[in-house]
Amino acid sequence: MSMLRLFSSRQVSSRPATAPIARERLQILLAHERGGLRGQPDLLMQLREEILAVVARHVVLDPDKVMVKMDRGKHVSTLEVDIELPVGADRAFATAG
Amino acid sequence: MAKVLVVTSGKGGVGKTTTTAAVGAALAQAGEKVVVVDFDVGLRNLDLVLGAERRVVFDLINVVQGIAKLPQALIRDKRLENLWLLPASQTKDKDALTEEGVGRVIAELRKTFDWVICDSPAGIERGAMLAMRYADEAIIVTNPEVSSVRDSDRIIGMLDSKTVRAENGERVEKHVLITRYDAVRAARGEMLSIDDVLEILATPLLGIVPESQDVLRASNVGCPVTLNNPASTPARAYSDAMRRLLGEQIDMRVPAEPRGFMRLLLGRRAA
Amino acid sequence: MNVSVEATRQLIRLRGRSYVAFVFAPVVPIADWLSDLDATLAGSPGFFLGKPVVLDLSAVDLSPLAITHLIKSIEARRIRVLGLEGVEPARLSIGMPPLLSGGRQCVVQDVELEKPALREPTSLLLDVPVRSGQSIVFPDGDVTVLGAVSSGAEIVAGGSIHVYGALRGRAMAGINGNASARIYCQKIEAELLAIDGYYHTAEQIDAALRGKPAQARLDGNALRITPLN
Repeated sequence: MSMLRLFSSRQVSSRPATAPIARERLQILLAHERGGLRGQPDLLMQLREEILAVVARHVVLDPDKVMVKMDRGKHVSTLEVDIELPVGADRAFATAG
Repeated sequence: MAKVLVVTSGKGGVGKTTTTAAVGAALAQAGEKVVVVDFDVGLRNLDLVLGAERRVVFDLINVVQGIAKLPQALIRDKRLENLWLLPASQTKDKDALTEEGVGRVIAELRKTFDWVICDSPAGIERGAMLAMRYADEAIIVTNPEVSSVRDSDRIIGMLDSKTVRAENGERVEKHVLITRYDAVRAARGEMLSIDDVLEILATPLLGIVPESQDVLRASNVGCPVTLNNPASTPARAYSDAMRRLLGEQIDMRVPAEPRGFMRLLLGRRAA
Repeated sequence: MNVSVEATRQLIRLRGRSYVAFVFAPVVPIADWLSDLDATLAGSPGFFLGKPVVLDLSAVDLSPLAITHLIKSIEARRIRVLGLEGVEPARLSIGMPPLLSGGRQCVVQDVELEKPALREPTSLLLDVPVRSGQSIVFPDGDVTVLGAVSSGAEIVAGGSIHVYGALRGRAMAGINGNASARIYCQKIEAELLAIDGYYHTAEQIDAALRGKPAQARLDGNALRITPLN
């Protein structure tokens, strides 16, 4: 039915298919979530803990002044740790213990 | 004065999370400062629908437990600077979400936001009860279908008895939002009519959102439908609903059949 | 005394209060004791409805399962067991009423169970719809609802039930043996109707009546549902 074909080509949406975008988002998300399920904690969360522990060894950390941002990607993930250090921190040392 | 709005339904899969995201985004675009809170325990949906799933660090239960402060857990939307998200926890421990803890978090959120929108999980268990507990207003999302209507009725009964407002003798302002409305099915009498639904629920109508591909597309790309395709019928329905929430009087639009030559041809043949 | 004022916090005071409760002290054999209880109740049905009742188990030696069974038998007679006494804590399980101690004898106002005081019939008016999952129980008289009774809701009344709206849930009238109780509604779509224990489910209600104003009354031991008007 050529007439139908004519109509259906007019009806084609100009928007790109969104399912591939959804699939990619899901793959990234699940790759990170499954890591946790199989007993390996999320690498980024572990990094965060360890970085904070290292900083705490040198400076008294106020937990309120620590902001952590993450962006998990397919090939590259970003971990952003923002710590407000008190004035004179470069000279101060955390108390022993 | 901040308003706590719960988006609930009883029945699952009717469109609560879609509605929370769409209405939240619409309010933010209108200049209101909005936070949307995911009250599910163990399953997370709101972050996915908003496209923030890759940035979740802390969640509601972390804040309740004191592991994180509220500013550390709140995620700002990349597209709308007035829209924030407090994600749900993925722990399976339901008891971690306490009434007192939720009360504290909501009280704190009230201080900085104009709207605190609580996305309720399905059912009538803890997550759902806590989502509605501190609400000033409620949107009861309902499909024009018998089990959805019955579940919505149950939820309305609970809004009138199990909330702090109800216990203090005050009222939670309730609105019904009809979603997944299908004009063709309604015309054929296969779907409950709007009037049937309203007669049974006896609660004012906030809007009618049609069944639409635009909702699916929006959630695929992680963007609220009101932002992804504002001209689409569901987006306009949500936008109208948002304006009614803000107090405007707008005539109710009943979504009509989508038009197009293909439908005309096929429709005739089938009949 | 220095008292620091915390602006927003109110101290919650735990206070003690004592109440008078009826004590049931079952004896063996339990089955006979339950029959005696039934005989007493026959003279005054619903007497213990809403009254606090404590179960004294010191005269019997029951296993946890037997205790649960006994409590269920008593609750089946519409008597709520508020607490237990005279039993070791080890015999109790989570679902049971709490173990009480320190109970003292006291004189309960002279109530003769054989001749219950005639309660003045009263009536309950609800001017909101009754929602799914809600249960209205009013053994003292009629219940009137200004609104619909949703599917999944129920009204239980000692007297008649009047619904100025659609009746889509369950309505049980005359529960204390009042066979002359009736049920009226503006639109009958009920899931179940009962008067004095005789009931009809939705299937047994004439299809021709559905959606119309109707009344139900008891005729002997048959439930008659007829159009209103």
